[in-house]
Amino acid sequence: MSLLKFCHWIGRTHLGIFMRDSTYAFAIVEICHLLALAVFGGAILLVNLRFLGVAFKLQPISLVARELLPLTGGGVVAMFISGFLLFMGGSMRYYHNPAFRLKMILFVVALVFHFFLQVRASRQSSELSLNSNLLKLGSVVSLLLWFSIGLAGRAIGYV
Amino acid sequence: MPSVLHFCQWVYVTRLATGIRESPYWFPIIEGIHTLGITAVVGTIAVLDLRLLGVIMKREPVSSIARQVLPWAWAGFSVMFVTGLLLSIAEAATNYFNWAFRIKLILLVLVGLNPLIFHLTVYRQVNSWDLASITPGRARAAAVCSLVLWASIIVAGRLIAYVNM
Repeated sequence: MSLLKFCHWIGRTHLGIFMRDSTYAFAIVEICHLLALAVFGGAILLVNLRFLGVAFKLQPISLVARELLPLTGGGVVAMFISGFLLFMGGSMRYYHNPAFRLKMILFVVALVFHFFLQVRASRQSSELSLNSNLLKLGSVVSLLLWFSIGLAGRAIGYV
Repeated sequence: MPSVLHFCQWVYVTRLATGIRESPYWFPIIEGIHTLGITAVVGTIAVLDLRLLGVIMKREPVSSIARQVLPWAWAGFSVMFVTGLLLSIAEAATNYFNWAFRIKLILLVLVGLNPLIFHLTVYRQVNSWDLASITPGRARAAAVCSLVLWASIIVAGRLIAYVNM
């Protein structure tokens, strides 16, 4: 099934029609998306700042990566579910929206890239193998990716 | 309060406010940065709140988490405050009548009082419960208040735009 056909189909499901036609559903789900963003974004920021060596300096890298994994991982799941519901309410519109397309591409890249870094760091027992310039570079890339996703998300409503 | 209304109307027609309101780019750009600023404040404070509630980083001292998280929360707060001020003046005359905006201002005062009370009371004896995975009831109450108030601020903030439509 092509992406276009998928967007057609998903918009015509009961849930898709409900998301489109209900007066309050979109607003409520959008607010949930923002609440999840607040927790997720702050945790992503702290994890990457720890990788950079500027936040949580008293705690080991692996501990910060492990302890904040429920927030970054849970946050991304909550954002994906609420985001998918928003998408269902206007799937054809979003299919043609360049900001939405950019956001989705960046999201897949950031998802794989960031969680590869964080999961790997959380499993490392020796701190020495983590204290590399490569990890610092990775955290800058991750922060830039998530920042761009935030701005692209804001742009969806304006293009 | 007519004097406040007059002030809002005066701010509304200043060059800065008019410039932001009438530009096709400034408002959404500032709004996007405002949202990311909120994320930095609320998300970092949530980490401290969740530690106080014994959900994450249970074995780390509370004071160590607080010391390391709060500078980033303040950094996020300054971004949120400056961008929020710019957005508020751009729509000052309509925001004056906006009930969601009024509620948000009250909530912002409350969310400022919460850590003030926390730091002046239970946090003063933090040495005695620094390593406890279950913190004193008043510390947990402050954490719940913080999470609920910040969540309400996000809800009220989003509603401002829905009410203004």
